[in-house]
Amino acid sequence: MFRIDAAGDGAVRLIGRLDGAEAERAVASFAALEGSIVADCSELDYISSAGIGVILATLQRLTRAGHTFRLHPVQPRVRNVFKYAGLAQMLGID
Amino acid sequence: MLVRRFPRAVGSLPLLVAFVREFFAEHHLDPEQAYDVDLVLEELFTNMVRHARGGTPEIEVGLALDGNTLTMRLRDEGVEPWDPGQAPAVDVNRPLEERRPGGLGLHFIRQVARDLRFEHVDGATVVTAVLEVAR
Repeated sequence: MFRIDAAGDGAVRLIGRLDGAEAERAVASFAALEGSIVADCSELDYISSAGIGVILATLQRLTRAGHTFRLHPVQPRVRNVFKYAGLAQMLGID
Repeated sequence: MLVRRFPRAVGSLPLLVAFVREFFAEHHLDPEQAYDVDLVLEELFTNMVRHARGGTPEIEVGLALDGNTLTMRLRDEGVEPWDPGQAPAVDVNRPLEERRPGGLGLHFIRQVARDLRFEHVDGATVVTAVLEVAR
């Protein structure tokens, strides 16, 4: 399961597994994010290429609108996948 | 090799995760090491679900362990020959606005798997991936 919890003032938490099945269901939730966003990914346990696709689309949309989209903190294995995708730096991941 | 068949649907992903956990438990492997196995299996399975033409209602998945070497085999029967391994490598250094998500799955597999092989035998596509797992 995957969910996004809003914590206010552009802070959200991504929780669970963002795999191919969950990414399709999460598209609308990501599309609802507005303004500059900092996403706490400490409870994001897994992400695959499908999840990366949703994150990439959100990053592109928010950047075009003049906002930022940062992920912090991120679990090491999830961070590896963002690095493989060449997106770690763009998302402010250490 | 532990072998099981799964419905040809993205909705099978939780069943695949449970299958990997069962395999890890059977071999006394640390489930914390399962991430790369989950990733390779999901990317290969969803590739078959989304891109293979034809096919039976189920896809066969097998896992085997020899020392620290884990072999994963997916068998997709009744499909037209296809080899996603021939797809061009994705450029992950392109500027943000030029980035597209396509091709990342195979790119991820190549990052974590030691070997990846596609074959078409007797009307079935067989994909074999080899990974190292810590014990």
